[in-house]
Formats: sequence, structure tokens, C-alpha cells
Amino acid sequence: MGKVIMTADDSASIRQMVSFTLKQSGYEVLQAVDGRDALQQLGSRKVDMLITDLNMPNLDGIGLIKGARALPACKFIPIIMLTTESQDTKKQEGKAAGATGWIVKPFKPEQLLAVVKKVLG
Amino acid sequence: MSVPAITETTQYLTFKLGEEVFALDVAKVREILDFTTVTKVPQTPDYMRGVINLRGSVVPVLDLRLKFGMSATEKTVNTCVIVVEMVVEEEAMVLGVLADSVQEVIDLEPEQIEPAPRIGTTINTEFIMGMGKHNELFLIILDMDRVFSEGEKEAIVKTEREAVVNE
Amino acid sequence: MDNQYADTFKEEAYELLTELENSLLELEDRPDDPELISRVFRAMHTIKGSGAMFGFDDIAAFTHQVETAFDQVRTGKLTVSRKMINLTLAARDQIKAMLDGAGKEGAVDAALTAQLIAGFKELLNEEQAAAPPAETAMPQPSPSGPPPVEDPVTFRIRFRPARNIFANGTNPVALLNELRQLGDCRIVAQMCDVPLLVELDPESCYIFWDVILTTTSGLDAIKDVFIFVEDDCEISIDTIDGGGNVDDEAYKKLGEILVERGDMAVEDIEAVLANQKRLGEMLVEKGMAAPSQIHSALLEQQQVKEVRQERRQKEERARAQEAGASIRVPAEKLDVLVNLVGELVTIQARMTQTAVGREDAELINIAEEVERLTAEMRDNVLNIRMLPIGTTFNKFKRLVRDLSGELGKEIEMATDGAETELDKTVIERLNDPMVHLIRNCIDHGIEKPEVREAAGKPRQGTVRLAAVHSGDRVLLTIEDDGAGLDREAILAKAVEKGMVAPSAELPDQEIYNLIFAPGFSTASKVTSVSGRGVGMDVVKRAIDALRGSIAINCRPGLGTVISIRIPLTMAIIESLLVQIGADRFLIPLSLVDECIELTRADVAASHGRNMATVRGHLVPYIPLRQKFSIAGTVPDIEQVVITEVNGTRVGFVVDRVIGEHQTVIKSLGRAFKNVEGMSGATILGDGSVALILDIPQLVRSVEEGDYLALSNEQSTLKKMI
Repeated sequence: MGKVIMTADDSASIRQMVSFTLKQSGYEVLQAVDGRDALQQLGSRKVDMLITDLNMPNLDGIGLIKGARALPACKFIPIIMLTTESQDTKKQEGKAAGATGWIVKPFKPEQLLAVVKKVLG
Repeated sequence: MSVPAITETTQYLTFKLGEEVFALDVAKVREILDFTTVTKVPQTPDYMRGVINLRGSVVPVLDLRLKFGMSATEKTVNTCVIVVEMVVEEEAMVLGVLADSVQEVIDLEPEQIEPAPRIGTTINTEFIMGMGKHNELFLIILDMDRVFSEGEKEAIVKTEREAVVNE
Repeated sequence: MDNQYADTFKEEAYELLTELENSLLELEDRPDDPELISRVFRAMHTIKGSGAMFGFDDIAAFTHQVETAFDQVRTGKLTVSRKMINLTLAARDQIKAMLDGAGKEGAVDAALTAQLIAGFKELLNEEQAAAPPAETAMPQPSPSGPPPVEDPVTFRIRFRPARNIFANGTNPVALLNELRQLGDCRIVAQMCDVPLLVELDPESCYIFWDVILTTTSGLDAIKDVFIFVEDDCEISIDTIDGGGNVDDEAYKKLGEILVERGDMAVEDIEAVLANQKRLGEMLVEKGMAAPSQIHSALLEQQQVKEVRQERRQKEERARAQEAGASIRVPAEKLDVLVNLVGELVTIQARMTQTAVGREDAELINIAEEVERLTAEMRDNVLNIRMLPIGTTFNKFKRLVRDLSGELGKEIEMATDGAETELDKTVIERLNDPMVHLIRNCIDHGIEKPEVREAAGKPRQGTVRLAAVHSGDRVLLTIEDDGAGLDREAILAKAVEKGMVAPSAELPDQEIYNLIFAPGFSTASKVTSVSGRGVGMDVVKRAIDALRGSIAINCRPGLGTVISIRIPLTMAIIESLLVQIGADRFLIPLSLVDECIELTRADVAASHGRNMATVRGHLVPYIPLRQKFSIAGTVPDIEQVVITEVNGTRVGFVVDRVIGEHQTVIKSLGRAFKNVEGMSGATILGDGSVALILDIPQLVRSVEEGDYLALSNEQSTLKKMI
């Protein structure tokens, strides 16, 4: 059984790139357009890992991370936040909310895959 | 009438198979051995009597009598193995041939040699380089290269024939 | 990558810009609406982030300015003014212009861009509250590419995760696995902090790990592993073997290590050492240290010792090479040596035989010792000539590449078993035949990409070279996934050349192997005497000269496989000496499985079927006396030597098995080129000649013979009807 990774981002182009890159490496990918959409999907579908943008409408990344950690199925899955270089303080906030790690935008597909491998094993 | 291929006076070793006397160019003769034991190689034609140990080398031995349609060479006190060296397809080959007895080394001038008759011998004339006259006797000068090449080709043809026969 | 997502980004950006315009206009009326402010900020943020991802760097850089301004608004440090709205709208237009003109030079008014940027900077300066704190650049986890290889360094790493590390999804095992990727690793889990089950919280991490890692990747690579957790966990990394000190293989003592790690205090160690037992044992006994602590410290000792040992050996080797401890030797000298060894083996066998015959115990002992030394010498000498076939394979990679390019085909070469060793001469003599065979694959076997695609195959064809030891032989295969052989064409040509009768019914396998038959080759005028010229018969000749065999098979449309079997060494092998009648034969020992008895009763019981039952399985046997037409009476009890060739077990019936024999292989020569069943001869200790059986060939000939016999029967039957 392949691993399932969810990508939450309001940018369609980012979702597309993450999705394509991960699928090429054999992962199954679910897409969410914002935090609320993501939590809704997570309520009914188990995922093995979550990659989320921090800035999203309706429910931003921090909110999503907190919400996800509250779900029993997602309590211990790796959660990676996508941040831009100028958001160092966000990194702390994210970790406090329960994020496992981060990837800085802009990133290359190889970097994404390296982080996924690192936290998923 | 001489044989065009033979242009010089050459020395020949003469030997007997049954009543017939044969001759071989001495240049091609390496040595002469007593015929003691030969190890038969299974699944080879009768005229391939087997192999012998020649100072550490394995040398095949041909029974010329069988090759020429006579009965097999019998082992007597006179029987010898004449070890000859030939060049076949640019490779040097050493093999032994059985002789009932070995005679002597003689000189033959080209004039004393005639081409092989078309009829009158039981032997395939391909093998014969010429007929030599010596002391009122006719001897058959063998072309060893041909003797052997024929053998090879025969073997090939034999296996092919087998393949075709089984339709 | 950029192009793939560029279109999606553009679409997305246009949408965002439209939304942005609307939001800005609304914002003008409701300048304090946090939702609107967020929306504007997000639009900028997304365009900037995604833009940078997909190659729109100018847009990203420009948008950054606007985003910064709105970030200030978001955090309440800046208020929305008419001026700002105007500026932002203008900026928006400019971004749109950039999008429109993306890729086209000079499409955007650079001066305007600069002006706008200046405008924003001004805004930011005007409403300056505290200067934005210098943001520390966030470290980016990078994919660990291979760094320049340095000398291996050994580190001691103690990884003690925070108790609640699972809560943010960290998997310590994944991190340990990542460490393993860096090099030789010994990991010990320390459980001393794990509480009793009643007190244990399953969602907490109580275990910490001691890792000894020897790696060439450097300290930074190790730190990278822990990049996400370094703030929350205790991670100590110490260099314990720096690669410099070669001389002293001895490493720290156990006690030192424990003290260094802080697991023990010096006094405790000394107190315990006052007794005479091993430190580790005593510490554990006294309950002062956990077994796992000792275990881990001992592993550290061991690992460093091994690393140092290896390093020292490597340096010695390097020094030896520099000093010229390897010599180039002309192959002929080696040949002389091999011949001499061969003679030595033969005479030594005779000596042993004579010693046994004399029943002189002392002499027998000496003979045995000589035998042992001779065998070792033989092995070593033969080994000198063995080279891995990999270098030959590699040469072909170039050939495949160039040739496929020339012919407009896409072909990849794969190899298996490059480390398989063969005699140097054999490798050299295989070169030309293999080149020819590979050329054939590429030229005739693998189809052009379009043809392959049309047939539902991948465009790229594969030529696979493989080598593997099989008994006393090496099996080389050249396999391609091309179109296979044209059975009809081959048959037609064979008929045309008179090699096969027109109505002959031959199994496919035989038809394919006709291409090796002499005279089959079509290319140029091959004279029957000189035999020169390209063609499969030349290949076959070369393989024959190596006392090997070659066969070809294919699956039409799917590919072709050429199998070449070559004896490992052309010189000396271990065999089993057997006797039938007055003749003796040798069977290569590597193929021999076991020997069983065959009585008259057994033979009768099998009803002429030549099958024996061995531990419940049927094993066919070949009655050699019959096959070889050896005269004499059959003994009441015969022996069946059961051999195994490529997984098939076949027995050979002989009168008796004499014993093992070191066999110096003598070629039978051209005279016996077409003989089946013999792969060579040898001279026994008593001077007589014994023949070496070609077991694989014998097995095959009997299989075919059965087939022929069957078809003979059938044709006889037909004639009868």
C-alpha cells in the first residue's frame, strides 16, 4: 500500500507541482484548497502525511495544523509547513502548533522529495 | 611424365600397410613410435583409433588401413605409429598414423614419380600425390594434408547427413 | 519544470489580480476590514511565492515589496491610505503587464517598476514603527547529495529526543535510518529511562540512542539529519576518530568511553577496576551501569578499531602500490608458469600413486603434503590469470551507444554479474565474438523506436549482458528484447544451401541454431579453406576453440537470447576418475552431486527405462558403456555418478569410481573437433590417457537422441503402414 499525502494550498500551481512530484515518486496525493477543506477531508480520510501552506483563506496553516493534531488519526503523522524565507517567526508558531518540519519557498522537486523521505522514512 | 607439384629430389619414409608400400615426405615426419596402447575416443569413426600420450601431449592416431578400406591394423611387434606434422588451414597439426611396418628412408627424383592412376588402386586418389618407382617397386606417395582434410570434411558431411536423414 | 506549471501559475495569477483589483477597490471604502486586508496580503503572498517557484523571478521580486507593505498593514503598523491604494493598484497593473510580457524582452517599463518600488519604500519609511526585526534566514533542509568524499571520520552521537516528540509527528526511527544512509552505523537504544508499564505514557518517548557512525559525509550532513528537531532534543555529536591517527589501533578503554559520555563518574570506574574482573561485567553486576550502556560503549570501541584497521590496511596497500609492488607480467610468462604447474600436478599424482603402491607411510605423508602444496600453487597460479569480465562489459557500453546512435535506434545496455571472473585469455578471445553478437542484436535484433512503439513495446530497447558461474563453466548470455529471429528465413536459406531437406520438420530451437552451422553465413565470399569473414560461424569457431558452446533461442517479437558456455579455466580442474571396462574417464567434480549403486536388480526393475530412484525422485541415467560401445562384461554392481547441470540431475553409469583426480586438461585437438561428449583428455599418473567427459553435451545429446529415436520410430511406423 502506497502512502497518502495531503497537500493544502490555496495556490493551484503549487498544488499541481507538489501533487505531480509526489505522484511520480509513487505516493497518492489528496489536494485541499484551504485549511477548512483540508480538515473536512481529514475527517473522513486517513492520510500518512500533510504538507500545508501557511497562508490560506478560511483557515490558515497554523489553524489547520492545530486542527489536524486534534484528530486522533492525525495526532502523530508528520506535518510539513510551506513557508517563505521571511517567516522565521512563523516557524516557531508552526512548531508550537505541532508541525514536524518545514520547507522554504521557493523549493525544487528534489527538496520536496528529500523532506518527505526524511519524515516518512 | 612427372607430377607438376613435385619439383625437387626429396627424401621419403616408406612403410607398409598390408602388401602395399607407401611413402611420406620425410620433412613431415616427426618421429616413429612403437605401437603400445591407444585410448579409444568413443563416438568417433573407426579409423580414428584414439589418442596416445606423446611426452605429455595428447596426440590422435589414425588407422590408415581402415581409412583406405582395408581391415583394421593389428598390433604386432612391427606395428608402428608414425608421428606426422601437417599444416591444415594455417594451423599446425600433429597426429600419428598406424603402419604395419616401417621400411627405410629413400631418395626420389621428380622423374621417378608419376601421377596417380585413375584406376587400379583401392584408395581414394585424392590422397595420392603420385606413384614412385624405386627398385622396381611402385610405392604410393601420400599427400597427408589431403588425407586428414578429407577426414574432417567427411565427419562434417556425416553429421549433416544425419540431420537430413531424420525427417 | 518551469514550463509545466507556468501556465497554471499564469492562470492563477490573472485570477488573483482580478480579485486583487476588486479587493483594493472595496478596501478603499472599508480600509479597516481585516478580511479584505488579509485577502490582499494573501494575493501578493501567493503571487510572490508561486512566482518564485516557477521561474517568474522578476514578478516575485517586485511583488515582495507590496507584500511587505501589506504585512505591516496586517500587523497594524501601517494604515491603508488613498496613496497606498493608488500605489497598489498601479503595482497590480504592473504585475499584470509583467505577466503579459513574460519571456518577452523589454515588454515591461523598467523605470515604472523602479518608481513603484521607491513609492512603497517611502510608504514603509513614513509609517515607520519599529524597523522590522532582521529576519534570520530559515535554514532550508536540503536533499543530501553526495558531498566530496573525504576520509572516513567516526562520530559518537547521542540523540535524546524530547519526551513529547511524537506530538509533532517526529519519527525517531526515520532519523536513525537517515543516519544509517550516511555510513557504517552501530546503534544502541538506551532504555534506562523507560518507566514501568503502570507509569508509562505510550505517547511519550523515553528512549534515547547512542550511535557510532563512520562516514565520509562530514559533520554537516549529520547535523542536517536533525534539522527539524535540534531545538527540542539533546543532540551531542563528538568526533572520536578523526582519520589522522593511524599508528595506534588501540582505542580508548571502555572506562574512558563511559566517563566521556557522562554515563559514569571516574571514581566509580576506578573503584570497580580495583577488582580484577572485566570492567563492563562488573559495572553491570553492581547495577551501576545498564548492559545497554556497556554494550554501546563496547560497540564504539569495536567500530573505531575496525575503522582504524581498515585504514591502516588501505594505506599499506597504497604504499605497496607506490613502491611498485605490483608488476606487469607478459601473458606468455604466465602461460609457461601454468604449463609448469600442470606438469607438476601430473607428476605429483604419479608420486602419490607410487607412494601408496609402496605402502610406505612416511612417503605417503610427504606425498600428501606435496599434493596439498601443489593444489594451493595451482589455485594461486590460475587465479593470477582471472579477471572480472566487467571491464569487457564496460567496453561494450560505448559500442552500444555509438552503434545505436548511428542506426537511429534507442538502446540501453544492462549488465549482470560484472564481477564474474574468467581467465584472461578467455576474456580476450571472447572479445571479438561478443562484439559481433552485440552488433547483430543492435543491427538486426532491436527494432527502430517507431516500430517498437507500434508494437506496444517501449521505445528504448535493452541489450542485457550477463555472466554467472555454473559448475566449472561460465554462462554468458546476450539478451535483447528485439524482434527475435526469422524462423522462415533461416529455414529457407538452410534449404537453399542444401543443409536441410525441404520437407524436414525441425523444432524451432534447432532451426535457430542453424545460423551457427558452417556454411550458413551469407556475408561475402567465405572460402571453405581459409574460413575468414564475418558471420556466426566465425563466432562459433571462436567459442569452439575455447572448448565452449553457443546456442541461440528466441521468442518471436519478444527477443533473442544467446547463451555461451565456456570452461572456467583452460588448464586444470578437479575431477572424478571413473572406469568402464579397461578405459578410464573423468567427470568434472564441480558437476558431481553423488554416487549410488546400480545392481542388476535395479536395472531390471526399471524396465529398460534408464531411470533410478534417489530418495523418492526419479533420476534418468545414461548407460555410458552402451553409449560408448565399450566391449566387455558388465559388472554385477555398477555405479551411477549423478551430476547436476543447470538444475537438471542426470546420472552416468560406470563400472567403478576410482576417486578424485587433479586433472591437467589437454586438448584433443582439431581431429576430434566434432566429437561429442568429450571436452578434453588428460594424462594419468601411469602415463595413460584418460578422456574428460563433456557432461552438459552428453546430457543434451541424449535428450536430442531421444527425440531423434522417437521420430525415427514414427517414420518407421509410417513406412510400415
